[in-house]
Amino acid sequence: MTKTTATRLAAFVLAAASATALAAPTPASLGEAIFRDTSLSSSGRMACSTCHDPARAHAQDNDLSVQLGGADMATPGFRAVPSLRYMNPNMPFFFANDGTPTGGFTRDGGANDLIAQAHTPILAAHEMDNIDAAGFAARLGAAAYADDFRALFGADVFANPDLALLVAEYALSEYQRTDAEFHPFDSKFDLFLQRKIMLSPQELRGLALFNRKDKGNCAACHPSTSVGGQPPVFTDYTYDNLGVPRNPQIPANADADYFDMGLCGPFRMDLAARTDLCGQFKVPTLRNVATRHVFFHNGYFHDLKTAIEFYVQRDTNPSRWYPFDADGRVRKFDDIPSLLARNVNTSEAPYDRKPGQAPALSDAEIDDVVAFLKTLTDGYDPITDSADPARSARGVKSVDKL
Amino acid sequence: MQHRMLALAIATCCAALALPARADEAALKAEVDALRAEVAALKAEVQQIHAAQSAPAPVAQAKPVSQQPIAVTDAAAPNPGRSMSDAATANTTSLWGYGQIDYNHPTARAADARADLTRAVIGFDHGFNDTTRVYGELEWEHAIASASDAGESEVEQLFIEHALAPNYGVRAGLMLVPIGLLNEHHEPTQFYGVERNFVEQAIIPSTWREGGVAGYGNTDSGFQWDIGLVTSPNLGKWDPTSPDGRESPLGAIHQEMQLAKAHDLSLWARLNWLGVPGLNVGGAMFAGKIGQDTSKQFEGDANFPADNSRLLLGEAHVRWQSGPWDFTALYTRGTISDTQDLNLGFLGQPTPVPKAFWGGYAQAAWKALAWNQSSVVLFLRYEAFNTGAAYATQPQGLGTPPLPTQRVLTAGINYYLNPNVVFKFDYQDFRYDDPVLDYGNRFDLGIGFQF
Amino acid sequence: MQARWLLPVGIGATVVVQVAHAAQYMSVEQAQRAAFASATRFEPIAATIDAAALGVADSWKPLIWRVWNGNATAGWFFEDAVIGKSELITYSLALDASGKVTKLEILDYRESHGGEVRLAAWRNQFRDKTSADPVALDRDIRNISGATLSCRHLTQGVHRLLQLYSHVLAAKP
Repeated sequence: MTKTTATRLAAFVLAAASATALAAPTPASLGEAIFRDTSLSSSGRMACSTCHDPARAHAQDNDLSVQLGGADMATPGFRAVPSLRYMNPNMPFFFANDGTPTGGFTRDGGANDLIAQAHTPILAAHEMDNIDAAGFAARLGAAAYADDFRALFGADVFANPDLALLVAEYALSEYQRTDAEFHPFDSKFDLFLQRKIMLSPQELRGLALFNRKDKGNCAACHPSTSVGGQPPVFTDYTYDNLGVPRNPQIPANADADYFDMGLCGPFRMDLAARTDLCGQFKVPTLRNVATRHVFFHNGYFHDLKTAIEFYVQRDTNPSRWYPFDADGRVRKFDDIPSLLARNVNTSEAPYDRKPGQAPALSDAEIDDVVAFLKTLTDGYDPITDSADPARSARGVKSVDKL
Repeated sequence: MQHRMLALAIATCCAALALPARADEAALKAEVDALRAEVAALKAEVQQIHAAQSAPAPVAQAKPVSQQPIAVTDAAAPNPGRSMSDAATANTTSLWGYGQIDYNHPTARAADARADLTRAVIGFDHGFNDTTRVYGELEWEHAIASASDAGESEVEQLFIEHALAPNYGVRAGLMLVPIGLLNEHHEPTQFYGVERNFVEQAIIPSTWREGGVAGYGNTDSGFQWDIGLVTSPNLGKWDPTSPDGRESPLGAIHQEMQLAKAHDLSLWARLNWLGVPGLNVGGAMFAGKIGQDTSKQFEGDANFPADNSRLLLGEAHVRWQSGPWDFTALYTRGTISDTQDLNLGFLGQPTPVPKAFWGGYAQAAWKALAWNQSSVVLFLRYEAFNTGAAYATQPQGLGTPPLPTQRVLTAGINYYLNPNVVFKFDYQDFRYDDPVLDYGNRFDLGIGFQF
Repeated sequence: MQARWLLPVGIGATVVVQVAHAAQYMSVEQAQRAAFASATRFEPIAATIDAAALGVADSWKPLIWRVWNGNATAGWFFEDAVIGKSELITYSLALDASGKVTKLEILDYRESHGGEVRLAAWRNQFRDKTSADPVALDRDIRNISGATLSCRHLTQGVHRLLQLYSHVLAAKP
């Protein structure tokens, strides 16, 4: 961001703040309009909400491992769609004191905030396909709410495409930051933490198995508690390399020399030299995990129970997950160059086992954990004991719970 | 110290000049001649004394006490005279300090042997006038404190004390909790063994202090009392994923006045009876709410079900020091209420909140040798403690079983080079090894001093 | 404040009222009278300071009185000071004519730490001690737990006064 751009943005923020007082359009309300506006894509059929469907906890509503986009709505992407919910406690990317990569937005932490996060989807050829700021500014200038945009950000805002793109990203970030829809904290587990309802016996068992270091040890990276009474978001914002199997459903993987290695590339290249980080992807929140159609960064798994089975059986029963080499041996960790396979996490529970050993969780225990994970779905209705993210409270704006 | 001595010397000089005014004028006139004669005689005698002092000090065998020259020790201070005592007090500042360097060698895991500059402490007090003083104590733990080092830099005490009478007064600020025998008197020369006893680290946290106001005093009949209204620990700090709460439940949630949540306050009270010399029998309690209204400290719905949780910690002790013997027994037990709902959210976590924890020890020490200022003290201490003696019940049998009671036998030697410099050696036998808490049989070496 | 606090606060208040009958320090004159009720004269002696000794940091100059009862020596009276933890403790010691301790009084104690040496029970341990006794902490003088420094230093102070008596004063006619 250049200095002048930043200065102008700051001026617009001030202008926007005063505009808010008059109940005029706000950055957040314009952000919501942009979020749902398919006319801002080259195909005319893709908006943010296309892949980040509010009814699906702001994630995809189909079973594809990677989504299709571009002008023809047929260009495949490279990574599975993350949910946009519960992003507020996240922080810019940094290395913690012990060297652990932490924070950052998107799967590889390449964006440092919600503003930067919106950049790639708007421009990328396999997504909204605006290619550059000029293309986007032209479409935005033709939108039904363009006058509101001018009123808020200046009459000449579309004359500077870079600025128009930046303020649009800012509007999107304000929408996501302030709208309760993105962080409703209204799951069954939240009501349980508030001691308004009780979990079922199976869900309680699942919580214990989720936490126990000798069982799922899930809470090691997906903390189920947070100190000081704040509701947990089930991620510690760190990165891990789980050795998820290579997904043939991603067209890019047809090239045997192509590897998506997260922190060390190919999309973010600033850490390309840190080969020890190759294969690490950001730990996602597990809120709404039971509503997801695909799991992990490459969308390899399509079923929650199978995903958990992968965690606990990856090392006790590798032949179930990985292909065989020509010599008949299982080729574990087939989605990373063999020289970097050592980067895969094999030390922590539940991975610290050998073929033939009992998995950390039995089949019945996995069912318990699944039952618990279902309590993390937003929009819980105690009357029917069911949850639906689409039901999450609307209209309660500007509640920044974290 | 240099300045202090200089000030005292000047004060002494003034006292000397002021002296004649103190005595009856007539008597003085009459006695001037006699005094002059006595001065001459005394001078000779003083020279005699000085000569005796400079004579080679007995080492192998102590002379009979009555034959020893006048002992001028560090306790000696030039007498400024009663008339100058106020001047000597007002606006005085003094420094003190203590330090502790430890070496721990686990017998089963020699690789874990560790040498540590456990603490270095500088203390000060300053008298504003005869009745009002400020005390402060600054501590560095583990040698180096920075963002990337393990050490800590902390203020251990900082309070104003105002004496309402010679035997009672009030204090306000950050104060050590008057519970147990070690908390207020934790200089390494004051306890036996390289490390402080476990009971007064695990159950009563090490160097536990809280901020608030307190009264103190003692009575002619030998009672020593304290009562205070102070900040409470903060149960909202409890981290069920960390072993801290298992090492010391209260140590994990006390706030040390570090931007301390102060919605809930606690009361402390202590009563000791010291009416027979050598005996200290008494007890103390610390009680208060510790939820700190945590559920209302963030926007949105209440998410902390232990706002009304209460801590009650009680302690009783007896100590008998007579001749070479020093016997101590101490027992302490704490409870935390309203933990069931809180722990429900912690199911399966390694460290839920205990509802009861306790510890006790018995210790015997014997001063086997003493010569000049040096002495050798042998001691034996048996401790039993449990930081998770009971947990609130949970449904489905998902609750946490009580922790096993740890028992430690410590035998060792304190060698006092002088009363303020000590070298220590001990061996500690643990009933069971606990790698999480680093408990296992070990021998320890230590150096301690205070001034 | 909730009802459950009333009991401990009440106890605290009671204790405060109890001790509001405050201890007062004695002046030197009061201490002299308390030790020698029938004395006819307190003769200050040996307190003239040798100015040459002033520069010495550990110079020690107690105030000494010979106590007369008519023409007979009734005993000796000293005023001295030692360091407690960090501040001076001013105290007085009375010996009878044979050099036995009759009274140890604390005249001024400036810090609260270790102030328990004021307890009569502790000070009474020194009664009848002479220069022939060890007068040493943990030998014939017991400690007060938590007031070790003050106890040790006061004990050393009494010890050196007794030695001063036996070396310098006892032989006086």
